[in-house]
Amino acid sequence: MSIEQRKTYDAIVIGAGHNGLCLAAYLQRAGLSTLVVERRHEEGGGVNTEEPLIPGFRHNMHAQYMEFYDVMPMITDFGLEDLGLRWVMPEAQAGIAFADGRPPIVLHRPDLLDRTEASIARYSRSDAELYTALKQRAQAMEGIVAATLYSLPVAATVETQQAMIEAVFGEFGISGYFASKTTRALIDELFETPELRALLYRAAVEWGIPLEESGLAGMFLTYGMWTFGNWKLSLGGTHTLAKAMTQACYREGVDLLENSMVEQILVDSGRAAGVRIRGGREILANRLVASNADLRQTLLDLVGPEHLSELWVRRAKAYRYGPSHVLGTPTFCLREAPAYRSARFDPDIDRCFYTVVGIESDEEALRYIRDAYSGRIPEPGAGTWVNSLWDPSQAPQGFHAATGWYFFPPASALSRAEWEEVGSSYNEAFLARWRASAPNMTHDNVLAHRLYTPDQMEAKNLMREGDFSNGEFALDQLGANRPFPEASNYRTEVEGLYLCGPSAYPGGGVHAACGYNAFKAIAEDLGMGSPVRSERGY
Amino acid sequence: MPDVYTTEWYEAVRDAMNASAADLPDLPDGSFVVAIEIVGDGISPYVGTEGRRFLVRIDAGRCSWWRETLDRAEERREAGGPVDYRFTGPATVFDELAAGIGDPIDAALRGIINVRGDVRFLLRHADHVKALLDAYTTRVATTWPRGRPPYDGSPGGSQGVLPGAKGESASA
Amino acid sequence: MRDSFDAVVIGAGHNGLTLGAYLARSGLDVLVLERRHEEGGGLCTEELTRPGFLHNVHANYHTFVDMAPPLADLEVESHGVTYVRPDVQMASVFDDGTALCVHTDLERTCASIARFDEADAETFRRLYTEAHGFVGLLLGTLMYQPPMSVKELTKALASFGVEGRSEFLSVKLRRESINAFLDRHFSNPKVKAHLAFHAAVCGYANDLPGLAMSFPLLVGKIDNWNLCIGGSHRLAHALWRDMAQHGGVMISDADVRSIMVEDGRAVGVVLADGTQITARRLVASTVDVEQTFLELLAPDAFPSELRERIAGGAIAHQPWSLFSVHLALSEVPRYEAAQFDPDVDRAWVVNLGYASTEQLDDDWSAARAGRVPKMAHPNAAVNSLYDPTDAPEGCATGLLRQIAPFSLVGSGPGGWDGLARWYGRHCIDAWARFAPNVSGSVIDWVPYTPADIPRKLRNMVQGDWMMGEVSLENMLDRRPLPELSQYRTPVEGLYMAGSTQHPHGFVTFAPAYNALSVIAEDLGLEKWWYDV
Repeated sequence: MSIEQRKTYDAIVIGAGHNGLCLAAYLQRAGLSTLVVERRHEEGGGVNTEEPLIPGFRHNMHAQYMEFYDVMPMITDFGLEDLGLRWVMPEAQAGIAFADGRPPIVLHRPDLLDRTEASIARYSRSDAELYTALKQRAQAMEGIVAATLYSLPVAATVETQQAMIEAVFGEFGISGYFASKTTRALIDELFETPELRALLYRAAVEWGIPLEESGLAGMFLTYGMWTFGNWKLSLGGTHTLAKAMTQACYREGVDLLENSMVEQILVDSGRAAGVRIRGGREILANRLVASNADLRQTLLDLVGPEHLSELWVRRAKAYRYGPSHVLGTPTFCLREAPAYRSARFDPDIDRCFYTVVGIESDEEALRYIRDAYSGRIPEPGAGTWVNSLWDPSQAPQGFHAATGWYFFPPASALSRAEWEEVGSSYNEAFLARWRASAPNMTHDNVLAHRLYTPDQMEAKNLMREGDFSNGEFALDQLGANRPFPEASNYRTEVEGLYLCGPSAYPGGGVHAACGYNAFKAIAEDLGMGSPVRSERGY
Repeated sequence: MPDVYTTEWYEAVRDAMNASAADLPDLPDGSFVVAIEIVGDGISPYVGTEGRRFLVRIDAGRCSWWRETLDRAEERREAGGPVDYRFTGPATVFDELAAGIGDPIDAALRGIINVRGDVRFLLRHADHVKALLDAYTTRVATTWPRGRPPYDGSPGGSQGVLPGAKGESASA
Repeated sequence: MRDSFDAVVIGAGHNGLTLGAYLARSGLDVLVLERRHEEGGGLCTEELTRPGFLHNVHANYHTFVDMAPPLADLEVESHGVTYVRPDVQMASVFDDGTALCVHTDLERTCASIARFDEADAETFRRLYTEAHGFVGLLLGTLMYQPPMSVKELTKALASFGVEGRSEFLSVKLRRESINAFLDRHFSNPKVKAHLAFHAAVCGYANDLPGLAMSFPLLVGKIDNWNLCIGGSHRLAHALWRDMAQHGGVMISDADVRSIMVEDGRAVGVVLADGTQITARRLVASTVDVEQTFLELLAPDAFPSELRERIAGGAIAHQPWSLFSVHLALSEVPRYEAAQFDPDVDRAWVVNLGYASTEQLDDDWSAARAGRVPKMAHPNAAVNSLYDPTDAPEGCATGLLRQIAPFSLVGSGPGGWDGLARWYGRHCIDAWARFAPNVSGSVIDWVPYTPADIPRKLRNMVQGDWMMGEVSLENMLDRRPLPELSQYRTPVEGLYMAGSTQHPHGFVTFAPAYNALSVIAEDLGLEKWWYDV
C-alpha cells in the first residue's frame, strides 16, 4: 500500500536522523511494520553532506568525524559496509597550528602514539609521556566505553565514578577527587604546555565536554581521552552513513515519509496512538511512537502538557539547549589545502584530519569558549577539516573542500539581523586569521565560502538554538540524568511513547546509541528479542 | 451473408484477409497472436456489456485461426502464452469497422482504439497490415439483423463515432 | 562491499535506478554505482539558498506522468511519490500587460488564446485534440521502444495514409522547423511565441529544421506538466527504495574508473579506489558516451574507428544550455498582468516576455554564438504555488531559467563564474518588471550557471542537460550514433541506458526502459513488466 495512503503501522518513528533510522531498522527486523516520518526532504538529520557552494565541493554541514564506526552495532547487524559505508582513518588526527610558526602539536592515531609523543615532546617531555600513557589507558577502555554507550544508562554514584577513575588512572596520580573537577582544571593540573592545553581545551569542547563545568573531568578522562585520535572520515561525506542506514531500512521494508512535519503525537487514553502530520493526515501506531525530535518539542509541542503530569511539564520546560554544541559551520572551496607556517617543524600539520586554527594560546581558547557561552561572538578561530586530502571525491580534481566548526552563542542570543551580519562577515575575519597561520589562504586560493549559522541550523534541522546535541551537556543533563532522571531510559510517561534522539542518553554524536538503546527498551517492553550480541557484549 | 461475430463471419473475415495477403509481396515471417478486445458500450446490439474478445493468429502473414475467448486467462491459454498485440476499443467502433464505415487507422490515431504490442513491427509492415485491415473492414459483406451502425446515441452521434465515416470506406 | 553482482549499472540517475529496479525485480543481483554523494542525477533537490527552501537544481518538470510505464511498474506512488498537475500549467506575460494561460482545462486554454486570436484558439483546439488522440500511441511506439529510423517512420505514415487523416501530421514535418509549423497554422505572434516557448522548455529549439515532426506530440502533452511534491529528489528515493526492496544495492560516492573487458565482453568495473567489482551478466552505463568509451573502456576494447569518431566530437550536444537562478522568496509573485487574467498568478511556469518567435530565435542565435542574451527573457517557476512543503510557511521557492550558452565567447565556460551574480540580478530584474513585488521579496538567491551543470553532473557534457542534441540528425536510431542507438554496444554485455540514448534527457525513463527490453532479449528475461 502507498506510504501516502497507509493509515496504520505498528511503530512510527519521528525523524529520520541517524538515530531514528537505526531504531526503525531494528523495529522492522523485529517484525513491526515501521514508518519513519521526516520533516525534511532528505534523511540523515545532522549526518548530512551537501554542495552548498560550487558543485563538486562537498561539505559536511553538521557531523564531521566518526569515532564509533568500530563499535556501532547497526553497522555489523545490518551489513552497512555492503550498503556503501566506507571510511578512512587519517594518521595525523588532530593538530593545532600557530600564526607565529611555533611547532604545531599533532595527535596521531592510537597505533602511532610514538609520533604523538614526539610532537608534544617538542614542548614538554613530561606532558608527552603523560598524555601518551593516559591515551593508552583510555584506549584500553574501548570495550567499556562502547558497552556503556550502547546500554541503558545506570545512575553512577559519585563514589563509583571516583573509584573507577582511581582504578584506571590512579597510577598517574589521578585520584578519585579529580572526578569533581572541571575539565579545564584537570587539563591545567596534568599538562604544563599552553599549546597542548589550547588544543585539548578546544578538542574537549569540540567533542562535547564543557570546560568549566564541575564534575565533568571524569568524562574527559574516559570518553574524551578514548575518542581523541579515533576519528574516521566517511568516504563520500558523513552522509554516506545516512545513505547506508536508509538503504538498510528500505531493505527491511521500513516506510519513509519525507517532507512531513509531525504536528502532534496522538494520545488516546494515556497511550501514544499515532501522529498527525501537517496538513491534517493522521497515521496510527498500534504499538509505539518513538521521537527522534528534541525533548521540548516532543513533550510540550507534540504531546502537549495536557497529557503530562505537572512534574514532566516542569522538567521539560527546565530542559536547556546550548551553549555547549552550538555550531556555526563555515565551508570553503579551495585551490590548495592550507600550508601552515608551523609545518616547518612538523609537516604532519598539513595533513591533519582536524586542525585548530586561529587560537594561539590556552588563554585565547578559554576566552573563545567563554565568549561563545556568554552570548558573545568570539574572536575568530575554528576547528577545520580538509576532507578532500583523504577523499578526493569530496572536491573536483586539483581542488580542496574545507569545512570548519565555530562555536557560537545559541541562536536566540542574537537577532536575525545580527546573525545575517555574522553570516556575511565572520568568515572573512576568520580567513584573515587562517592566513596568518597558513599564508596560502589568500583570497585567490578561496574560490568561495559560506557560513551556516546557528539560527539556520535551527531552521534546517530543528536543532534548537543550533545545539546539535539537542540539550546542554551538563551534569544534570548527562548520563542517567538525560534528559531528566524520570525519562532517562527512553520511556516516557505516555505509554507507548519513547525517546530515541540525542535528547536521550548518551546525547549528541554519531553513535546511533540513542536509537539502539531505545530499541532495547522497546524490545524489553514488547517482549521482543534483545539485539545484544555476546561477541560484542552489548 | 453472415451476421457479425458469428463463426461464419469470422471465417469469412479470415478468408478475406488471406486473399488480400496473397496478393502482397514480402509477407512477414513468424507467428503472431492478435487479441481484439471489444468493450461493451451498451449501444451495440451485438456486444453485451461484458464485451467480446477474440484472438487472431497470423502465421507467415496469413491468418491461421480465430478464437473467441472469455477472459484474459483463457486468452493466454488459447494463445499459448502472452499475445503479441492487443486492439481495444468500444463495441460501436468495432461494429462500424466491420460494417466498413469506420476507419481503423483513424480510430487508432484518435486514441479510440488502443494498440498495444510492438507497433514498430506494424509500422515496418504497414502495407501488409493495411491489407489485413482493409479485408476486415471492407471485404466481408455482413448482415445486420439487429440494426446496422452507425447507431443512434453512439458516442459520435448518429453520424458514427468516427468523423467522416458516413458509409464510404477508408480505402475508397 | 561485495565484489560480485549479476548486473552493475553505472550512474544512479533516474535511468540507472529504473533499470536497476527492473533488473532487481527480475531476480538479478544488482549494484548501481553513483559517483556523487547523492543518488538521483538530475533528480536533485537541495536547500541551495536557505533552510527549508527546496530547490530542484535540475529536473523540475515531470511531463510523462501517466505515460511512462516505470511509474506503474515500479509502484513509484506506493513509495511515497505524489504528483500534482497544476491547473494553470504555464503562462506567458507580455510587455503590454496581457497574459496567455495554458490550463489543464482545454476550454479555458482556448478561451485564453481567443483573447488574442479566435481562429488561433480554434486551431489550437483541433491541434490539441488531434495530438491528444495519438499521443499515447506514438509515445508508446516511438518513445518506449527502441527507436526506428525517420525513414521507416515516414514510409509507414505514408502507407497508412496518415496525412490524409490528419490536419497536422505530415511527412513534410521532417523538413520543417517549429516556426514554420506555427506560421502555417497560427497567426497571432504571441500565441506562436507561447507555443514555441513551451517547446523550448521541452528542449526543442523552434528554429531548427525537422523538429516540427515532434511538435504535435509536444502539444499533445502540453497540459501534462507535473510537479513532484517535496522536490524531484523524492522520485529518486522512490526508485532507489523499490530497487533496494527487491535486493538491489545502490552505492554512492563510487566513482567508476574503468569497465573491465575480457574476450570482448564486459565483465565488471573498477572504482577510483581500485576496488574491482565483477558483473556476471551485464554492465550498463547511464553516463555520457565520451566518458563511457573514451575513459571507462580501454582503447582496444572496441573498434578504433568508433573511438576516433567519438574522440573527434561525433556526439552532438545541445548548442545551448540554461542559466538558472534559485530564489528564496518571502511571498509568491504577483503579476501586473493579473489585471488582464488573474489566472496568471497561479501559473506554475511563466514565460517572462517572449512575445514573438523571433525573440526566441534571437536567443538561440546568441546562445549558439556563445553570447549571453542581452535582454533576459527567463521563465519563472514557483513550485510553492502547488507544493506547500517546498518552502517555509508563507514563503515561496522560485526558479528562473534563461536560454544561455555553455561556453562564452572570449572567456569560455569559466567566464560564467565572473558573470553569474550580474546576470542573475539581470534575470531577477526581468522578473520584477512583470511581477514588481519580486524585488522586495527576495530573501536570498543563488545563480546556477551552465558551467555549474557539468560540475555537478559530469555526464551533462557542455552543460547539455538533454545529454545529446535534440535535432533531426540526432534523433531516433541516429542517437547518439547509429551503432549505439539500439542500447547495445560493440562490447558484448555492455549496454547504454542513459539519456544519451533515444529518446533523450528529461524525466522520461525511456532510455532505461528501452535498454531493459534489449537486455531482456539478450538475457532471456521474462518481460513481466510488459503485458500486451
